[in-house]
Amino acid sequence: MTFTRRDMLERSGQGFGAMALAALLADDARADKALLPHHAPKATRVVQLFMAGGASQVDLFDYKPELIKRDGQPSDFGEKVEAFQNGLGPWLRPQWEFKPYGQCGKMLGEPVAPLGAVADDIAFIHNMAGKTGVHSQATYLQATGFQNPGFPGMGAWISYGLGSINRNLPAFVVLPDHRGFASNGPKNWDSAFLPGQHQGTILKPGAPRPIEDLFPGNHGSYLTGTADPDGRDTLARLNRMHSSGRSGDDRLEARIASYELAARMQLAAPEALDLSRETKEVLRLYGLDHGKSSFDRDINPLEETDAMGRKCLVARRLLERGVRFVQIWSGNDNGFPRRNWDSHEDIRRDHGPLARGMANAIAGLLIDLKRTGLLDETIVMWTTEFGRMPSSQGGKGRDHNPHGFTTWLAGGGIKGGITHGPSDAFGFRSADKGRPTLVYDVHATILHLLGIDHTRLTVRAGGADRRLTDVHGHVIEDILA
Amino acid sequence: MFKMMLLALTVSGADPWWSTRPLEKVQPPKNAPHPVDAFLMARLAREGIVPTAEVDRATLYRRLCFDLTGLPPAPQDSQRFISDSSPDAIAKAIDTLLRNPAHGERMARLWLDVAHYGDTHGYDKDKQRPNAWPYRDWLIRAFNANMPYKEFTTLQIAGDMVPQSGPGGIEALGFLAAGPWDFIGHAEVPESKIDGKIARHLDRDDMVATVTNTFMGTTVQCAQCHDHKFDPVTQADYYRLQAVFAAIDRADRPYYRDPAMHERVKQADAIVARLVSARGELAAVEKKLLGPEGEKLTAELARLQQPAPGKDPRFGWHSQIRPSANTTEWVQVDLGESRPINSVVLHGCHDDFAGIGAGFGFPSRYRITCSDDPEMVKSTVIIDHTSTDVPNPGLKPLAYPAPAMAQGRYVRLTVTRLATRQNDFIAAVAEMRVLDAAGKNYAAGKTARASSSIEAGPRWAVANITDGAWYGGDPATRDVQDAVAAKLASLRATKIPAELRNRISVLENELAAAERDRKALPAPSVVYAGTVHSGSGAFMGTGPSGKPRPIHLLKRGNIQQPQEEVQPAGIAAFNHAPDLFNLKPGHAEGERRLALARWIAHDDNPLYWRVMANRVWRWHFGRGLVETPNDLGRMGDMPEHRELLDYLAGWLRDQGGSLHALHKLLLTSTAYRRAATNNPEAFKKDPDNRLWWHGNRRKLDAEALRDAMLATSGTLDTTMFGPPFQDFVITHPEHSPHYEYDKFDPASMKARRRSVYRFIVRSQQQPFMTVLDCADPSLLVDRRNETNSPLQALALLNNDFVLVMARDFATRVDKEGGSTEARIQRALLLALGRPGSPDETRELSAYATRHGMPAACRVIFNTNAFAFVD
Repeated sequence: MTFTRRDMLERSGQGFGAMALAALLADDARADKALLPHHAPKATRVVQLFMAGGASQVDLFDYKPELIKRDGQPSDFGEKVEAFQNGLGPWLRPQWEFKPYGQCGKMLGEPVAPLGAVADDIAFIHNMAGKTGVHSQATYLQATGFQNPGFPGMGAWISYGLGSINRNLPAFVVLPDHRGFASNGPKNWDSAFLPGQHQGTILKPGAPRPIEDLFPGNHGSYLTGTADPDGRDTLARLNRMHSSGRSGDDRLEARIASYELAARMQLAAPEALDLSRETKEVLRLYGLDHGKSSFDRDINPLEETDAMGRKCLVARRLLERGVRFVQIWSGNDNGFPRRNWDSHEDIRRDHGPLARGMANAIAGLLIDLKRTGLLDETIVMWTTEFGRMPSSQGGKGRDHNPHGFTTWLAGGGIKGGITHGPSDAFGFRSADKGRPTLVYDVHATILHLLGIDHTRLTVRAGGADRRLTDVHGHVIEDILA
Repeated sequence: MFKMMLLALTVSGADPWWSTRPLEKVQPPKNAPHPVDAFLMARLAREGIVPTAEVDRATLYRRLCFDLTGLPPAPQDSQRFISDSSPDAIAKAIDTLLRNPAHGERMARLWLDVAHYGDTHGYDKDKQRPNAWPYRDWLIRAFNANMPYKEFTTLQIAGDMVPQSGPGGIEALGFLAAGPWDFIGHAEVPESKIDGKIARHLDRDDMVATVTNTFMGTTVQCAQCHDHKFDPVTQADYYRLQAVFAAIDRADRPYYRDPAMHERVKQADAIVARLVSARGELAAVEKKLLGPEGEKLTAELARLQQPAPGKDPRFGWHSQIRPSANTTEWVQVDLGESRPINSVVLHGCHDDFAGIGAGFGFPSRYRITCSDDPEMVKSTVIIDHTSTDVPNPGLKPLAYPAPAMAQGRYVRLTVTRLATRQNDFIAAVAEMRVLDAAGKNYAAGKTARASSSIEAGPRWAVANITDGAWYGGDPATRDVQDAVAAKLASLRATKIPAELRNRISVLENELAAAERDRKALPAPSVVYAGTVHSGSGAFMGTGPSGKPRPIHLLKRGNIQQPQEEVQPAGIAAFNHAPDLFNLKPGHAEGERRLALARWIAHDDNPLYWRVMANRVWRWHFGRGLVETPNDLGRMGDMPEHRELLDYLAGWLRDQGGSLHALHKLLLTSTAYRRAATNNPEAFKKDPDNRLWWHGNRRKLDAEALRDAMLATSGTLDTTMFGPPFQDFVITHPEHSPHYEYDKFDPASMKARRRSVYRFIVRSQQQPFMTVLDCADPSLLVDRRNETNSPLQALALLNNDFVLVMARDFATRVDKEGGSTEARIQRALLLALGRPGSPDETRELSAYATRHGMPAACRVIFNTNAFAFVD
């Protein structure tokens, strides 16, 4: 197979260490990408925090006194509402007390109180709306902008558009919940029709091979002494013999370069993940100074803090080293016992420890990013696939609510301490019913801050010029700094 | 997509609607004996480009082997080819490779990309789809048998409507179901809800896109929200195509692999149907004789037995969960004293677990006995259903009249074959009632015990079997129900003449016998396919009637904004056969699919032939004449050689759609034999090789690379067909299965079959194959991305599969013996299909001497020479 040079470069991705990329790109026919960035960027990196299962807006971030007043009264939405499990019981008050934080006075629920310390850095969007109450499709929608499989994750688009800052590490890194994948699994960070290197690379901090196949597997016991490095030298010599008689096919060079980069990744990745280099003060910031190595069997805030804290600290180290996009997941698939945000049965039981752990860790991350100056060029985004109903399900739980939920942003180019797009009195849906904020708007805003016009980053696939925002999306000017 | 910038566009290339124009009757220029070369050479001459020379025989043979079988050449075959100097040596080699069963495996794998085949559903939970593979096997057989392309197409869309196609016609329908399926959106959300409607709309969308992209190279799915912006496809066209698939779902479809058995079953079904209809006629007579009173009582009884709203939580008795169906379980009621027994009534349970619903856990085989002895040493048999399976009655009560003089204190239901739950087996019964002649239930509230029971109160408990509560029917009216039933029975005794009762009873016996015979036939095979589905719970389907769902044009593709209803049709702008969709009112749903199949697979449908000719070209030349095989529309690539494409398309049609003939035509051209070498002059004029002045060097795809390692290591398991091998371990199967590749040991011999037999998971794709740019089974993949990333390098260096392959490869060459240098030479011959150069041999021998043969074989598997085919 042959390609244009541009295409070949694209497909070989990070495989082009020292080649004069710019010169080769100059005559590229695909102006859409060659012109990136479209304007001066405000930020260069993104952390996406995804709460899988559907995090409750009304118990954490979106304070609704009306629900306290009407707690236990039959719910009335003023319209016909279809709930996923028909969980339309009486109104259910927020399950925790709310208190004001920061100069902005943002009201936060008790489990997320640690985020009070950074409330003035955050822009909350309370009128988010999705399209479906089905986990799978809703997760796809928030992760890829489409509700069916087959589209690249936001990180893949950004990796494709902006490339890598540090070629020794993948541009798009994913830190899944340590207990397992959320709905759709790795399809949420898939490259789909984009070249494969833009897929999110799973990183497993603490594992012997933190990246799949970073070092020889268990069956490589025959690779003793210097067999591995010598083998790579031999390989390089063989490949050069091979390509010397085969000019005009840059893929051969690209493949040779990919082996050189692989060797550099073997050094860079473990170093990036080595938390032992962090000071006690930093560990404390993330709630990692507890000194424990085992936890209770039941879900508990300390363990949640530890799990999320490690991921957040790793994220900071990756961002520091030039990773473009880090995606962190909280919550595995929607099974039992609940280790996710899908609290149909009991909000306090699941949301309590999950939210406290999340808030401890993310507050630490924001403070740390600020401390190191990285927050200025890093967008931190918190989201979920949908919210939960202000009515109760089975007394203590809440059903899915795709009509209204909260997303928040902080960092590079974001105006902190504000709330954009209020929800109605119950937190059911956007106060302005016809004009909720959609995922396309959030994606458009993030791309905008990265210097990308979301309508101009396109790729031809399946008969259409595809983009992250489909045919939608408006930059949310209100939340720009 | 990859526009030729340096060459001026030809006249044909400038026509944006070129692909929809009728096939041009083109004669190849007279400048070369082979038509392919004639077209290409004429153009090259015009542009002043000198093509490269032909490759050597060894390289050519490696090319042919990978292209036609997806496997590397065996050295002895290669040697035979090289030393065959007869003029038809190449043609003979092609014939031999086309006859090799590995050819069908290779073609099937290419086709599975297009069909986006997988062995799981995808979406949330990503459950397994254990019966998808018969479609893959059908593909392999079809490609090996050189099935004419029109038949190949028709069967995949409407094989069930082509009687002479036999079982293959059913297996082929796996095509319509090959793509992802939203389990939650169907099994947990009914069609009455918006989310349920969306799920079904998206399901049809996938079928429409799959069929049209595959066979027409037209991206009609772009017209879901508005008329296609670039191609002549209207929004109405799109929804008319949805209407073609409006009756079907994706589900398991029973069929018989053995055509003779297929016929026997059809006959047995016909006998049963005839008797059912005769019984119906007598029932009508019976109804007339029973008169208004009989009608009233019948209606009254039906009303009383209606399921009450809501669900009584006290479901019934539930045995322990067993790993095998053939486990004996029993439940027994103690009536307190010995009683004369008139009849015993069983009521099924209702539980939504695994989407089962009505008849949950109802046993397949059982008998009911009564006795005064609690151990049933001597007992009277009330009913014995232990030799054949009883169809699940759902919620319909089953009443068994006892033989005269039946009496006993204990009544026992002994289950000898359990019901399937979800890869496991149980028995569950809501209620067992023991009635006297007046319809009084002796068993009500009496104690019961069982061989085993899960006591998950209040839902499941052995005591629930006599608690008077079951799903359906208001418990408060139970006595009334029984009394009405008794009245109806006595009315029947007086009003129906003995002769008629006798005929009814004879007929019922015949029917029972016929049903028994039918059931005695072996269980059918199952393929996951497009089918009219008769389901339960939220996933009801349109069965058994198969009446198509009404399809409306949706404003902006929004399910909540339906506009006018549309009828099935093809795309209006392509009017090569406008009458095919003139279907009679009340036509069977399959007529719609058959009409579409005939409309697509039509001699006068130019796109259909162009698309396939282009695909086959692409499979052999590494790039299509049109580089977007699923999109020959305006958004697709413009062909540089429209005349050649038209020639090949027409040729394929005129050869009766013989793909083998087309393979042979392409592979016997000089163009196919051109070396993948550079020529600076030509490169300057046509750097992208749009005019085929050199052979395209091909990178082995994930499957070819994996299969090549297996073949080279000498450990390839060539077993064909059957269920896929799994190179993962499943944990948490009960909710969302976790497919854990880490837990599978690649040293095991269990996963050494060709990659086409791999179990393909959609959500957690095989990481090794994925990093090698394997097709994503959720996407319609007409061509794969080709990347060279550091992650790919790491996988090929360090993945356990490669490490095991290198070790086994080393064992193979070590066994053949010789000096290190001789063994390295042998290894290079096996791996590269050619002898290693002296430099290569020296490098690797030195390395093997220092670090051992397995480490050297690992290096060989990582070379560019192994990964690319010149």
